Amino acid sequence: MPEDNPPPVAASAADESARLLLRCAAGDRVAFRTLYDRWGARLHGVALRITRQSALAADATHDAFVQVWQQAGRFDPARGSAEAFLISLVRYRALDIVRRRARETPGYDAAEDRPDEAPDALTQLVGSAEGAALHRCLALLGAERRRLVLMAFVDGLSHSELAEKLSVPLGTVKSWIRRSLASLRDCLAA
Amino acid sequence: MSDAPDRDLLAAEYVLGTLEGDEADQAAHLLATDPAFADAVHAWQERLAPLAACVPAVEPPAEIWDRIEATTMPAQSATVIPIAFRRRLRLWQASTGVAMAIAASLAAFIVLRAPSPRVAVLAPMTGRVPVLLATAGSEGVLTVRPDGAITVPSGRDLELWALGKGETRPRSLGVLPVGGRRLVARLAPGTQLLVSLEPRGGSPTGQPTGPVLYGGQLTAVE
Repeated sequence: MPEDNPPPVAASAADESARLLLRCAAGDRVAFRTLYDRWGARLHGVALRITRQSALAADATHDAFVQVWQQAGRFDPARGSAEAFLISLVRYRALDIVRRRARETPGYDAAEDRPDEAPDALTQLVGSAEGAALHRCLALLGAERRRLVLMAFVDGLSHSELAEKLSVPLGTVKSWIRRSLASLRDCLAA
Repeated sequence: MSDAPDRDLLAAEYVLGTLEGDEADQAAHLLATDPAFADAVHAWQERLAPLAACVPAVEPPAEIWDRIEATTMPAQSATVIPIAFRRRLRLWQASTGVAMAIAASLAAFIVLRAPSPRVAVLAPMTGRVPVLLATAGSEGVLTVRPDGAITVPSGRDLELWALGKGETRPRSLGVLPVGGRRLVARLAPGTQLLVSLEPRGGSPTGQPTGPVLYGGQLTAVE
């Protein structure tokens, strides 16, 4: 009953998500729902982590999937992964929503109530080839810089929020981030 | 050319999400106007996206899907009747492992039109456009024919199920070819017809094992 040489689970799941996106681009509602069932919880988790409020997270998840449906035609499996497409959509929406909230709500402090420690669930990364490479390269950054990158990506903190959170000057944060990103790029290209 | 490394790091910061003020505006402007910058952003999305695996998944509340549906579905002329089947479907879901969200959206978006004798219009869980039309004659012949596009992944089959009024477990009516099927089944009005996606040859357990894709209620019409 199983196939002779089943592909690695992660690879075939990624292929399946890419196929679902292509079907969405063709207007297939069943594929859209299947994609939601497969990715809804991961995207919502990302949205919730960045917005920290269920109502804002719901907006971000809603908006992201509406964009998935409307922009699936832009997805090109030859150029990128379904994961990057989907994660990017929800992160931009969530960041947009919290930044707008911060601008419109005097006294709103996005860095407040943040978990003090950036997540160190980095072992989750090794589940995919891309993640494993990123994990290896993050390790080269050293604990401090790695934490900075994770707080930015995972918690959605801006340059000034990071500076406030870590009590370091804004310029220092910017240069740390830039050097960390350059180092990641070089390591991933190696 | 000399600013290429800077541009690439600006793209990286844009994807990371740390930019503010003028720098954020500059990145947004470049993204819209400079294909090379857009390519750089794209490459950074690929590099950094695996980091999201560090965030625990959180099941979204069911109403988020309802909102997504409402936003993305074109307006339909068919009548959408919310059917008070949630409870029964949830019982059924509890016994079969079908996701509650699917059961809820099934209950919410079954489409009934007004055709002849005993008819069910089966619509996707994800939409309201009918894809199957079932007609039950008095002689016990049920005809199911496609009324829209149906795609089935290779290696899988659709399976037709009947869930009678007051019942909590559906009864298999067999594999449903995409071209439709005629079969003998005496079904009372009020019976739910459901179509699930199963391994080739149908569910190995006698209960749905895959997602319920389409559903509709058999209705007697004079």
